[in-house]
Amino acid sequence: MEKKMKLKENRTSSIVLHNLLIAVLAFIWLIPIVWLLCTSFSAYSGMNTSTFFPKEWSVAQYVKLFHPDTVAQFPQWFLNTFVIACFTCVISTMFVLMVAYATSVMRFPMRKPLMNMAVILNLFPGMLAMIAVYFTLKSFNLTNSYVGLIMVYSASSGLGYLIAKGFFDTVPRALCEAARIDGCSEARIFWQVILPMSRPIVVYTVISSFLGPWMDFVYAKMILNAGISSKYTVAIGLYKMLDKSLINSYFTQFCAGGVLVSIPISVLFVIMQRFYVEGITGGAVKG
Amino acid sequence: MAKKESGNVILAAVRGFFGAIGGFFSSFGTAVAKGDFATKLSLLWLGAGYARRRQYVKAVIMTVLEAAVIWFTFGFALNYVPKFGTLGTVEPEVVFNIETMQNEYNDFDNSFQILLFSLFSFVVWFAAVIVWMKNVMNAYELQKKAERGEHINTFREDLHSYIEEKFHITLLTLPVLGIVVFTFIPILLLIFVAFTNYDQNHMPPSTLFTWTGLSNFLSLFGGGGLTVTFGYAFVRVLGWTLVWAFFATFTTYIGGILLSVLLNSRKTRLPKLWRTLFIVTIAVPQFVSLLLVRNFFSNGGIVNTICANIGLTGFLRNIGLVSTSYIPFLSAPGWAHVMIILINIWIGVPYQMLIATGVLMNLPTDQLESARVDGARPFQVFKSITMPYLLFVTGPALVTDFVKNINNFNVIYLLTESVYTTTNQAMANSQAKEVDLLVTWLFRLTQDYYNYKMASAIGIIVFVICAVFTLIAFNSMIKGDREGTYQ
Amino acid sequence: MKLKKVLAPVLAAAMAVSMISGMCVSAESETISLTMWGAEEDQALLGELVEEFKAAYPDQTFDIQIGVESESTAKDTVLTDVEAAADVYSFASDQLYDLVKAGALANLEEVGAALQVAGRTLDDVKSANVEASVEAASVDGNLYAFPRAGDNGYFLYYDSSVLSEEDVASWDSLLAAADAAGKKVGMTLASGWYNASFFYGAGFNTGLNEDGTTTIDWNGTSESGYTGVQVVQAMLGIAGNPAFMAIADGDISNQLASGALCACVSGTWDAITAQEQFGDGYAATKLPTFTIGEDQVQQGSVAGYKFIGVNGYSKNVGWAVVLADFITNEASQQKFFDQRESGPTNNSIIASDAVAENIAIAALAEQSAYSKVQMVGGKYWDPSQTLGELIAQGGLKADDEAGIQAALDTLVEGVTAPVE
Repeated sequence: MEKKMKLKENRTSSIVLHNLLIAVLAFIWLIPIVWLLCTSFSAYSGMNTSTFFPKEWSVAQYVKLFHPDTVAQFPQWFLNTFVIACFTCVISTMFVLMVAYATSVMRFPMRKPLMNMAVILNLFPGMLAMIAVYFTLKSFNLTNSYVGLIMVYSASSGLGYLIAKGFFDTVPRALCEAARIDGCSEARIFWQVILPMSRPIVVYTVISSFLGPWMDFVYAKMILNAGISSKYTVAIGLYKMLDKSLINSYFTQFCAGGVLVSIPISVLFVIMQRFYVEGITGGAVKG
Repeated sequence: MAKKESGNVILAAVRGFFGAIGGFFSSFGTAVAKGDFATKLSLLWLGAGYARRRQYVKAVIMTVLEAAVIWFTFGFALNYVPKFGTLGTVEPEVVFNIETMQNEYNDFDNSFQILLFSLFSFVVWFAAVIVWMKNVMNAYELQKKAERGEHINTFREDLHSYIEEKFHITLLTLPVLGIVVFTFIPILLLIFVAFTNYDQNHMPPSTLFTWTGLSNFLSLFGGGGLTVTFGYAFVRVLGWTLVWAFFATFTTYIGGILLSVLLNSRKTRLPKLWRTLFIVTIAVPQFVSLLLVRNFFSNGGIVNTICANIGLTGFLRNIGLVSTSYIPFLSAPGWAHVMIILINIWIGVPYQMLIATGVLMNLPTDQLESARVDGARPFQVFKSITMPYLLFVTGPALVTDFVKNINNFNVIYLLTESVYTTTNQAMANSQAKEVDLLVTWLFRLTQDYYNYKMASAIGIIVFVICAVFTLIAFNSMIKGDREGTYQ
Repeated sequence: MKLKKVLAPVLAAAMAVSMISGMCVSAESETISLTMWGAEEDQALLGELVEEFKAAYPDQTFDIQIGVESESTAKDTVLTDVEAAADVYSFASDQLYDLVKAGALANLEEVGAALQVAGRTLDDVKSANVEASVEAASVDGNLYAFPRAGDNGYFLYYDSSVLSEEDVASWDSLLAAADAAGKKVGMTLASGWYNASFFYGAGFNTGLNEDGTTTIDWNGTSESGYTGVQVVQAMLGIAGNPAFMAIADGDISNQLASGALCACVSGTWDAITAQEQFGDGYAATKLPTFTIGEDQVQQGSVAGYKFIGVNGYSKNVGWAVVLADFITNEASQQKFFDQRESGPTNNSIIASDAVAENIAIAALAEQSAYSKVQMVGGKYWDPSQTLGELIAQGGLKADDEAGIQAALDTLVEGVTAPVE
């Protein structure tokens, strides 16, 4: 009896300790995010370097975000990025799923060489190709245009097919065979057999390609180089707010903008991670 | 499956490549030798073979394609390819025309354009030759079918085959085209640039650049270079790149596994809430979170203010760790290196936690149960069952992560660009910093110094490093007998 | 040259004739599209000036876009792709040489004839602006840009309620007084633009060669007889003082706003922040003297300008020239001074009372006696920044003369390296 009591006590204290450890970790992890949130509600437009919490609270910077000036045109940026993200999302998702299906389900002579090429291309630093991509776009007169940017984001997306392929690999081959015997064309197997079964990876691909343009600033900065603020995406718009000459009057707005962008992205991200876990493990184990 | 296949990728690619080429040429030879007149004519007129077998739509399509390639060759490619050897000789000259209020230029050469469009032409011609050879083989196949009196596809049936046995062609054409134009040609181009003198003194359109052979690689390795310090800076940057990639990969990997074990433990209350909290930190776009953290830890930033107020700065000064009135979190070597890895743990661990969580969910439960029945302690279970399983499943991903970290531009650039000032004069003389990765260095060389030739040379080295590493890692990690273990 | 002078009136006459005959044609001429880049803080004013410009040429339809590009980074953006850069852009004078070499600036001696549309000549521009500014905008005697502002230099802001006029005369007294008041004096050391002030003050020089390389003599002995080591020792003395705060480039306004400073070395761009922070005590003056051995040496400075340039690859280079001239003419510079407190280069505005009464611009004028135009190439910046950071962080020791000499030798080696 006594022994049991002790065991239980031990258990409770270890549970408390365990959860306390997680709480401490979560606390450390969230400090910068809390700072972002707090600073965005500061009344002072520059960076507050003397106290963690703002001296004066206000929503003024959020209000300012929605009243564009020459530098900050947040609603416009948001719209631009949204449009770019939508197109990128459609094209990349299609490309990724198409390549993944072709390499996973179909068998054809060039399959292996193509996949090996993809691995090799992935080993090159992407930064290196950037200048050449810029001049390629320029020779098609596509710099400073959203079409160009969408092409940059989506054209090479086929290279990122591995996760989706891993998932398709786990779909039982017998299903495809059965469908073939029923007289289904390969295209119909793709659309009506494989895709419906692969909801996790489709959702994952859709969301991750939608998020790309919200996160990228290097390509956007290079391609939208006319300096016209109303044409920016959210990422470069916010990035430029931290320019040396602007940071003092825009830091709080940067935080406010960061919070506003993060909210929809976080929601999508939390949805995506669920499918990501399903997608990646489905592929890796049964490989 | 995919990961296992990538094992011997490069060797297999080389072997498979030459094998395929050999087969291709021999069947082309057979087709030419044994083909009838129409087949032989299709060497000149691509539609001949099809027209002979009454595949008129295909004949028209191939004829149009042939015309397009010829038009491309004479209307476009021949403006650039003949200058490929010199990369242009005519410098721009300008006259202002007061009537039109515009500048009038002579027909000057642009080296970069010549290089780009020549490569573009080579790729198109290469594809055209393949199509041309393939076309003759097709014509020969048709001829054989006709001789054997077999059914010859109508155009409708041909079209239908593109959603049947040739469905992969339908699927792959656009994605591959995208990759060729936006990844393959650009990479090829920059490989060529590494053998030119494309730099600030030779910048199109105002000046021309030309081929210089291996001199850029020589100066990278410290010999006969323009700046003596380039080789020195290269070795230092390379060293840090490898150290960074190692720590960035393993700290987040191990941290992610520990965190996921922690969160998935039965003792955890509200595991979903905790997981979401950790995920929020990575859901904030990196350019926001990293730029924020950079200001958080800046020399005059909030963390320094707090450290000064609680006396930490003074303490560190007293024991000689800090020589300034602030703690140089992101502005002094050593401090910055450690901080960068710590901050990378901050954004990297939740990612790895996600992956590890997924893998742990699939952990073979029977093994766990039997271990528990045998009375194994939790730590022993973790050490002898969970960890080997995780390593097996995520091992290949570890290699990919390492390569990704070698090329991890965002973290380093966003944290240190325009904040970190090097105090190493020799590195400063080569525009490098102690915290630079090879990729951020090459980015600065192109963006601020227009030193494209050196940037390209560095890029090639990065590729070689990644390729060699991948090759060794995969070969040693994936030994055949282990594959069946967990299936 | 002589031929040009003779030809100019002839051409002008010919132009006048062709203009009149051309008028009928130009009435239905196509829209002229131009892009202009200017600093963020000038955007509103630039928009206003563009409207005035359009009104001045009612016969011509314009489509003029204004983009944001800071003067300090204009070169980086322009050189990435000269052909895609703006037709008219604003930049800091130290970028002139690299821009000219890349063909990013139209030679105004060649295209300046376009100014006839405005009834002006290039000589009008040259005579209207301060001679030094025109000289700084010229390479090999050819004018490449229109001077717009002469305030791209630095001086000392201080809080006169904390520091007296005697205090700010030398670094020693300045730092002592600041220390007594529990405040700090801020300056950017990790920038070749700021830290050159000590070397220039001690009589050292930098120079720019035709091939874009830099000459620099800081590891030797200056014409005033001081050695580079002595200058670095003096800087280390200042940087090591507890009342001194080394501030990262561009961070001065943050530090001013945080209230820790009672004085700082900066330029007119921080005038408004300094006014807010120091209130009634707001004052500005020339830079202090610093101590080398027994001597008090006046700290030098860099006299920089802000120019408006015309892209050599502009499709409508003629109208771009007319627009650039319009943005920099006397009336426009007056507006820049009134609205942006920007120090003019126009002779007649400089002579006005309003300019003389402006505290910041007066201090800049006072410092100008000790300033020089900084002639350096692209290889100068990183090594000099590193030297400044070494001094700021105490990486060099004042008593280690050999170490300082080695650091200066390395600096010179890096700065004088060939451009690649």
